[in-house]
Amino acid sequence: MNGIDYSQKIPNNVNLSEDKTLQRALEHWQPNYLAWWQDMGPDGSHGFDVYLRTATSVDPAGWAQFDYVKMPEYRWGIFLNQREEGRRIHFGDHKGEEVWQDVPGEHRANLRRIIVTQGDTEPASVEQQRHLGLTAPSMYDLRNLFQVNVEEGRHLWAMVYLLHRHFGRDGREEAEALLERRSGDEDNPRILGAFNERTPDWLAFFMFTYFTDRDGKFQLCALAESGFDPLARTTKFMLTEEAHHMFVGESGVSRAIQRTCEVMNELKTDDPALVRAAGAIDLPTIQRYLNFHYSVTIDLFGADQSSNAAIFYSAGLKGRFEESKRDDDHVLRGGMYRVLEVQDGKLVEKEVPMLNALNEVLRDDFIRDSVAGVERWNKVITKAGLPHRLTVPHKAFNRRIGTLAGVHVSPDGRVVSEAEWNANETKWLPSVEDRAFVASLMGRVVERNKYASWIAPPMVGINRQPIDFEYIRFN
Amino acid sequence: MNATDAGRADALRQHVIDPEICIRCNTCEEACPIDAVTHDSRNYVVKPDVCNGCGACVPPCPTGAIDNWRTVLRVDAYSVEAQLGWDELPAEQALPPAEGGAAFAPAPIVETTSASAAPATATPVRGATVPPWSAAHPYTNLYRPSAPVTATVMGNFRVTGEHSGSDTRHIVLDFGTLPFPVLEGQSIGIIPPGTDAQGRPHHARQYSIASPRDGERPGYNNLSLTVKRVTADHDGQPVRGVCSNYLCDVKKGDTVQVIGPFGASFLMPNHPGTHLVMICTGTGSAPMRAMTEYRRRYRERFGDGHLTLFFGARTADELPYFGPLTKLPKDFIDIHLAFSRTPGEPKRYVQDLMRESSASLAPLLSDPNTFIYVCGLKSMEEGVLAALRDIASGAELPWESLADTWAREGRLHLETY
Amino acid sequence: MTSEVRVDYQTDPSRYRHWRLAFDGAIASLTMDVAEDAGLRPGYKLKLNSYDLGVDIELHDALQRIRFEHPEVRTVVVTSAKDRIFCSGANIFMLGLSSHAWKVNFCKFTNETRNGIEDASRHSGLKFLAALNGACAGGGYEMALACDEILLVDDRSSAVSLPEVPLLGVLPGTGGLTRIIDKRHVRHDLADVFCTTTEGVRGQRAVEWRLVDAIAKPANFIATVRERATALAAKSDRPEGAKGVVLVPLERTIDDTGCRYRHVTVDIDRARRVATFTVKAPMEAQPRDLAGVEAAGASWWPLAMARELDDAILHMRTNETAIGIWLLRTEGDAAAVIGVDDVMALHGDHWFVRETRGMLRRTFARLDVSSRTLFALVDGGSCFAGTLLELALAADRSYMLDTPDDPTLAPRITPTEANFGWYPMIQGKSRIARRFHDETEPIEAVHAIAGQPLEASEAQSLGLVTMTPDTLDWDDEIRMAIEERASLSPDALTGMEANLRFGEGETMETRVFGRLSAWQNWIFIRPNAVGEKGALKVYGKGEKTAFDWNRI
Repeated sequence: MNGIDYSQKIPNNVNLSEDKTLQRALEHWQPNYLAWWQDMGPDGSHGFDVYLRTATSVDPAGWAQFDYVKMPEYRWGIFLNQREEGRRIHFGDHKGEEVWQDVPGEHRANLRRIIVTQGDTEPASVEQQRHLGLTAPSMYDLRNLFQVNVEEGRHLWAMVYLLHRHFGRDGREEAEALLERRSGDEDNPRILGAFNERTPDWLAFFMFTYFTDRDGKFQLCALAESGFDPLARTTKFMLTEEAHHMFVGESGVSRAIQRTCEVMNELKTDDPALVRAAGAIDLPTIQRYLNFHYSVTIDLFGADQSSNAAIFYSAGLKGRFEESKRDDDHVLRGGMYRVLEVQDGKLVEKEVPMLNALNEVLRDDFIRDSVAGVERWNKVITKAGLPHRLTVPHKAFNRRIGTLAGVHVSPDGRVVSEAEWNANETKWLPSVEDRAFVASLMGRVVERNKYASWIAPPMVGINRQPIDFEYIRFN
Repeated sequence: MNATDAGRADALRQHVIDPEICIRCNTCEEACPIDAVTHDSRNYVVKPDVCNGCGACVPPCPTGAIDNWRTVLRVDAYSVEAQLGWDELPAEQALPPAEGGAAFAPAPIVETTSASAAPATATPVRGATVPPWSAAHPYTNLYRPSAPVTATVMGNFRVTGEHSGSDTRHIVLDFGTLPFPVLEGQSIGIIPPGTDAQGRPHHARQYSIASPRDGERPGYNNLSLTVKRVTADHDGQPVRGVCSNYLCDVKKGDTVQVIGPFGASFLMPNHPGTHLVMICTGTGSAPMRAMTEYRRRYRERFGDGHLTLFFGARTADELPYFGPLTKLPKDFIDIHLAFSRTPGEPKRYVQDLMRESSASLAPLLSDPNTFIYVCGLKSMEEGVLAALRDIASGAELPWESLADTWAREGRLHLETY
Repeated sequence: MTSEVRVDYQTDPSRYRHWRLAFDGAIASLTMDVAEDAGLRPGYKLKLNSYDLGVDIELHDALQRIRFEHPEVRTVVVTSAKDRIFCSGANIFMLGLSSHAWKVNFCKFTNETRNGIEDASRHSGLKFLAALNGACAGGGYEMALACDEILLVDDRSSAVSLPEVPLLGVLPGTGGLTRIIDKRHVRHDLADVFCTTTEGVRGQRAVEWRLVDAIAKPANFIATVRERATALAAKSDRPEGAKGVVLVPLERTIDDTGCRYRHVTVDIDRARRVATFTVKAPMEAQPRDLAGVEAAGASWWPLAMARELDDAILHMRTNETAIGIWLLRTEGDAAAVIGVDDVMALHGDHWFVRETRGMLRRTFARLDVSSRTLFALVDGGSCFAGTLLELALAADRSYMLDTPDDPTLAPRITPTEANFGWYPMIQGKSRIARRFHDETEPIEAVHAIAGQPLEASEAQSLGLVTMTPDTLDWDDEIRMAIEERASLSPDALTGMEANLRFGEGETMETRVFGRLSAWQNWIFIRPNAVGEKGALKVYGKGEKTAFDWNRI
């Protein structure tokens, strides 16, 4: 058990220095994790000093400590929110019972599956984003990318902690497997489809962090309600970090839009070709990226009717978003919910038991949240005095999972023929040409306070630092 | 209660969130210990009548949108409804002249003994946000405004001279069989009974605990507060501090509504050989009394650790606990008293006394076992830090890194209001 | 009928209400004379030599007494004291009143006892003659079927019958259907006629159809019984002049927290529905020679332990049906267990050693057919060696503690010769052969290291244990395994475990516990048997049964 000074190397509030089970597990896992980071972490970045925040405790003062850190030396820690005495399960069949501090054997398999599925997304996104550093639009953005990366790494630690602490040998094997799968590897892929797609450029990265990390937020929120208290406390703490990732996405897209609007106003044009020629990303292309990432992300919530979702809820393993703020019986037996299906070539709503529709409930919560952010992007366009608007496509657009998979639906919600779909696909989704164009803008800009042509500077800096702060020392 | 840095009794430094930068991630609402943040589908906003400016929401905010403040007249504070309608922050407005046209008072009204520090601005030296490594783990927020605990008044004694113009009270509260674990340096909130002029219940006011963790009386579930009766605002205009007058007038057997405890960093170290340097004015003495008393009770546990106290008041008569203080053994605590209004004597402030004690302070500053606590009026902070810096540079200690180390190791604690 | 009042399987001849046991040299007679008013539960009368669980507990005890206390007995004549009635089978009113669980447990125990009769004949040289002095119906005939020979009085009225199907809408579930075909080789079409004929078959036809071995006129009946009993005795290898071993009453306390014997304790955790069986190795020095073994008698560790374990199993099965998981643990010195095994190996042909091994064999077999999850926990201080290793081998899963940091604390298991055939399961195989599906290689690998204590990693690589959590994982792993198991459907588990436990190879016993019991237990919950108008419910009330005619 030697070789690791636990309290120093691994900030934690789980009493790691006295937990032999955890130490033993980490003794094997931690070197493998570092090896994974060396192999699959941000490309070519290991020597940089990056102005990163590190969590050293869970209280407001301790969890955001900013300093220059070399990423492989980042102190990935293990933190759970403080235990709330007397907390009770507040939904499902166990409602009113004390929360579980240990995994109930009855639910071991389901909990492990939930944790592994969540955990798998964390290293996956690091892998997806590992080459983006080579095309950063600014030092500020590069730093944000790295912050997202190290925190996805920490989220992996958070899930691995649960596996190590609560799932015995199975848990250790699953934790190893989290380091062995590879995003996009045909033979050894990550679990969820969206996490095997490449993140080819920074617009995709911002869209991903806006939409897909928001999926993460909603999943974590639902798990933060869990009757398995360590999972609830772990995910609660992760949420504070997840917020930064969504910020990177929301502000990144917002700044790209801002720059586009500036160019449109300077040139007094909305011709995409002219906008492109001026080195900005035209709004229709941004809309197509939005369409793609939105539709791929809402698939992540799973099939619209799911017995697993019902089981997870009734068993008290996974609640709804803001479960405790909802005004119903929190058991949901007999409740109904509307889901979409296609009948006679039209989208129709159908009532199904609420318990089976919980994936759809969470997806709809996500949609409301996403739409609000898109409206904030529109404010940027409005403020620039332009009439254009971005919209989210219809829920049934470009779906690959659930009853809507395989149905062709236009962004405005019409069921269309294969022919119409094929004729319009490049208007609705990024084309090869769109992606090639965006890629062409991705030159590396990393001098202090310099920004790529397609993106505006941020409104504020990180940690109250000025925006021209030296966020990264390249050494 | 909101932060009172506006410097005027009728003004408020209102905490607001920039809707253009905010991404509605809910982190602030989650982080707020007193539920002062709320939201609708459009905006996240801060309730002006609830926020106490504790700053717990500031570091977790991913965008910086949280860190915005507007100085407004209390009566003009932006309501929750108004904020929910914002698309962008309103510009900072100049305050209208105060009633009677008086100039700004030099110091804010003293209604609390230890309001948590407002989010630090760009001061070169920041106090620690972490406790000493050996501090006992504090309980915080056991009782929230929605569910306060009832304490019984066991005593109410005047601790300033009979004839002093300052009526400062030592109030002992007992919690009976209900848990209310505290540590020296923590504070509690008192909810005064009744409602304000608008018919709303009063907000809680915070007071530092003046007794050690094991009770004002050892082994009892009680604690003490040091409360100064507020009778005038900074302009000398008569004003009745709602909570301080309520507390100064409570009688034995009365009950009061208490929330808290609060505070997780202004805590004392628990390992032997630690030296405490305590610098305070007025009711800022409360946490110092608590720590001193704890060290006195368990003196043998702390080896050769030594206490040094710099304590300022206008006159000896206004110095709380003057009598008992002078009776403590010299080899236990060095006491330096500064009086700014002693007739016929030059004004002396705590920082003057500190400079005079450079010879004994300098070795303490370089000692890794030294922990420094500052509590009192905001106006003293700058002077105290300057004195510390001068003493350090006199001893050829690198001030910047020293202050940085103190902050990182939880060895310099500033609580000023 | 439920088990509110605890059923006690311990009795002795002085307390019998329903049987008389008499000895005449090599021939013992076991005479059924059921006391009508002495049913185990209220609500029915045991008329016409019908029986309930209480009657069968005495039969079981009587067989044990004959085995151990009367080594001179070679033939047991099973007969009746009632005029013109041998036995009319299980009491129908009792069955009508009983819960499903009670019926299933009752049938299981009576089956085990009938199997025990055949086991005694096969392994102990104890022959049984059913002397049917009168009508013999249902369970009565099934008891006769368990005997080596059946002699029926030929009085023109006494018949053997299996009237369950036509009369009661259930099966002759105590081996009747199995034994007329498998053992007595009655032609299936004749068996079909026989099993649907209420009045049964008598006289010469019964012989011709192979339902009985012989008939005798009433006047000759006693003499014929004597003659055939003597002839059977000649086939026996039971010793002459051996001194029996008295089965002294077990020292035990039983209460809500479990039961405690000298060598066996059962601790019940009701909240988790788990019982921990702890079997202790010999605590005192055990005899090294036959004289010592004979002198020790019922206090000889293997016999004492087996009787205690058997009683504990029966108690838990009958009285604690909600305790669904049995954890099997051992405690003590493995060398002491192996020492006893050595003595049993050396003197395996001595009647008392043979009977003791038989007792162990039947006790382990009882464990195999118990409808409970069996998890063996091989942890520190355990002694799963030789005979006691059978417990781990019998378990559905075995968990063995691995102590990589401190080998001195490592528990060990020791396979010995005892594990290679001393205690066959009901399908006739050792548990190791069952474990490895008769594959030579893994069996030989274990055989080759017989006698060597194995640590967790070795036991794991030989395939002798299921999982080997280490010290850090142990508590959580075991807790979760138990909780997970406890959350599963008890019915599905019973079915699953029964299907996984026995493997290939059929015997009469496996067919009784498998095919016959499974169908019977199904029929027992069908409305056609136990519904308001079901056959069992309306029997004797003069009402007509109302069947759901759909074939399933």
